[in-house]
Amino acid sequence: MPTLVRKTLGEYRRALVGWTVGLCAFLGMYISIFASMMKDPDTFSKQAIAKYPGALRDLMGGMSDIATGTGYLQAIAYQLLGPLLFTMCAVILGNRALAAPEEAKTLELTLTLPIDRRRLLLERWTALALGLLGVALVTLVVAAGASSAAGMGVPFGRILAAHTGLFLLVLFFGTLTLCVGAAFGRRQIALAVAGVWGVAGYIVETMGRSVDAIAWLRWLTPVHYYLDGRPLYQGWPYGDYLVLLCATAVLLMTALLAFERRDVGV
Amino acid sequence: MTAVVETEGLTKFYGTRRGLEDLTLDIRPGEVFGYLGPNGAGKTTTIRLLLDVIRPTSGRATVFGASTRDPRVRARIGYLPGELALEGGERARDYLRFLAGVRGGVSRSRIDDLAERLDADLSVRMGRLSKGNKQKVGLIQAFMHEPELLILDEPTSGLDPLVQQEFLAMVREARTAGRTILMSSHVLAEVEHVADRVGIVRAGRLVAVEDIAALRERAVRHVELHFDAPVPREDFEGLPGVRDVSVQGASLRCTIDGRPDALVKAAARHTVVHLVSAEPDLEEIFLTYYSEEEARHAHAGA
Repeated sequence: MPTLVRKTLGEYRRALVGWTVGLCAFLGMYISIFASMMKDPDTFSKQAIAKYPGALRDLMGGMSDIATGTGYLQAIAYQLLGPLLFTMCAVILGNRALAAPEEAKTLELTLTLPIDRRRLLLERWTALALGLLGVALVTLVVAAGASSAAGMGVPFGRILAAHTGLFLLVLFFGTLTLCVGAAFGRRQIALAVAGVWGVAGYIVETMGRSVDAIAWLRWLTPVHYYLDGRPLYQGWPYGDYLVLLCATAVLLMTALLAFERRDVGV
Repeated sequence: MTAVVETEGLTKFYGTRRGLEDLTLDIRPGEVFGYLGPNGAGKTTTIRLLLDVIRPTSGRATVFGASTRDPRVRARIGYLPGELALEGGERARDYLRFLAGVRGGVSRSRIDDLAERLDADLSVRMGRLSKGNKQKVGLIQAFMHEPELLILDEPTSGLDPLVQQEFLAMVREARTAGRTILMSSHVLAEVEHVADRVGIVRAGRLVAVEDIAALRERAVRHVELHFDAPVPREDFEGLPGVRDVSVQGASLRCTIDGRPDALVKAAARHTVVHLVSAEPDLEEIFLTYYSEEEARHAHAGA
């Protein structure tokens, strides 16, 4: 493994372990209460769901089938909270790749090593991607294990498809944060861009689908390519995932070009 | 012999603020070059340009004859940043190993030797290092791979006097080994004992480059002579290079510019019991450069 990838993973280690534990606890706990909720069918009866305002139901992905294993898993793990938490993890780590060390002035010495900037950025990004992949793999095992233990009856292939989408989504946001950090060297700017794009994107994708005036905006949000294919129901949305991957590649190229001509630490 | 560092019209503006303007400078192989100026004069800007951390607005800079953009050049440089930041839970020794690995490897004993010389504890986590210890770790990483060029930005800041002496010894050894050193400082006293030449930078411009030896030649010296009997003041007035003469009974105080020859010959006519000559005060010349430059600017502006 290249030195800088290993070094960066070392820096990420604590955060990665923390986020993995947190995400696993979240997934494990919420998925395992499915069984007890099913014992009391009133919780998720049509009447009970109908009490929620329509907009809130939209925001939670509809909730029409939350009493089924697939519906519950989608609403709890893959609709809002799962991606939200995992994206926060990706954004924090993405900031720690360049913007945070630049602000702390530790990046200067790294830059004066006999490594060109492109390699520096690529190796930092590789560590970010590998770290996120590690978190994704462990949480996949927990999500699949817990849902099978809770008797949800969702095939592993579908969970794998949904989880892959989750990984691609957080990789996009991690790369976005790294890219803005590489271009401006400020954590706050990167955080703001990723936060606004993420939250606005989610709202547009979930509530905007019924508002014609902003429906076209859905095409501009990564959340659309994550949610629209409904992988938990329909399997692999290859096209959507390809779009997410390509967008990540474009961000990475942008980051390389921007970082190459920057004055660092000014 | 080609210069180790060569700049031509090197200019850096941060927006409209001048960082450095029109710097043309050669640093020769094997010399210790002291780069002097007050804080904010452009010393760090110059150094960052040489290391390609920032990019020039115009002009060019080469190191070992290659563009500063070439990352291979940096394997031959040891760099101590002016604002050295070390943080995190990593131990200083592990960080040094990482830096050494990227630069092509350094033996463990080399790191240990340097740590021992500077009295640095490398088992401490970096976030917990005191300012002085951070500076020591910074010095170790700059020297450890025995680079051909050392670029040290304010190297003695935060070091106690004993460690400063050890550091100066390391600089002298590096020079003896034929290495080239560029070190910046805002006080002449820090570099005058090791530097061969000094460059003085002020408000983004290089105002003078001088040989330390020549500077010393021109230095102002305060001399005190004590005789066995009172001496007449007239004997010492009007001597070439001697001024500010004051006689009090059997003792004489004066200031000499350059050689003390005339004074010594005049004093030899009496019986000298005691002679005190203070170290040449280079700081004084240094300051006259500043004031001359300032006067010139003021004049040009008028």
